[in-house]
Amino acid sequence: MAMGSKIKRLNAGWEFIAEHFNTPVSLSDVANHSCMSSYHFLRAFKDTYGETPHELLIRIRIEKAKKMLITENFSVSEICERVGYISLGSFSSLFLKQAGMAPTVYRRKLWSLSSEAYCFPSQAIPACYAYHFLGKLAK
Amino acid sequence: MITSIAHATIYVLNQDEALDFYKNKLGFEVGDDMKVEGGFRWLTVYPKSKPELQLVLAEPKEGPMFNKEAAHKIRSLIEEGAFGAGVFETADCQKTYEMLVAKGVEFIQPPTKQLYGIEALALDNSGNWFSLVQREK
Repeated sequence: MAMGSKIKRLNAGWEFIAEHFNTPVSLSDVANHSCMSSYHFLRAFKDTYGETPHELLIRIRIEKAKKMLITENFSVSEICERVGYISLGSFSSLFLKQAGMAPTVYRRKLWSLSSEAYCFPSQAIPACYAYHFLGKLAK
Repeated sequence: MITSIAHATIYVLNQDEALDFYKNKLGFEVGDDMKVEGGFRWLTVYPKSKPELQLVLAEPKEGPMFNKEAAHKIRSLIEEGAFGAGVFETADCQKTYEMLVAKGVEFIQPPTKQLYGIEALALDNSGNWFSLVQREK
């Protein structure tokens, strides 16, 4: 397979995961979408992007959840479902692993730091940018 | 010891338009797109294979760091093409060049052999220069 064609197929798989993050996505679904066998897709994907399709799916789901926790008023259970998890336990433990705290703690902490409702606090971005654009230094 | 670069800034004229360019033309992914207190939009993109390197697409606006005049001056300099956005690597410069030309990306120089590889020079839709480089193996 030519290099350009392989990258195009892998990118198509990447986009498929990003677009369907809130539905059950199996390796064979993504590999089929990329017109590759599951075995070759998994290997080539990891070699190209440095993470497996499953790791990418988790990363996207948790990033979406983090944003929803701050900018929306949905309950944690609703957010869990909206990012594609059925089990609240699985979602919470993956969130804890990626964000370093439980979803409720994350929401409470960031909401308490922000001066505006449903906005991220300046502490959520690197301090050099917060100072540069907002004139704020984290205390 | 510093181990890597996590964020780098590209000043753009309009964040929505820049996002469209970096996502839909260059094929980058959105990292963060967050509304931060104070009305600031924290917008980052990254190449699919390098989520650990986020490019911050920021508009030079009047604020703590720039007064009105400075923000205006920086916008003018971007428009004049005074800033470079950096070097983006590709496995096949010619193919990527053709793909980007088909998507309407403006090139200043087509793929050309250089000491370090094959390089094309392009502009983003704000006027920032960037190199597209295929390294010598």
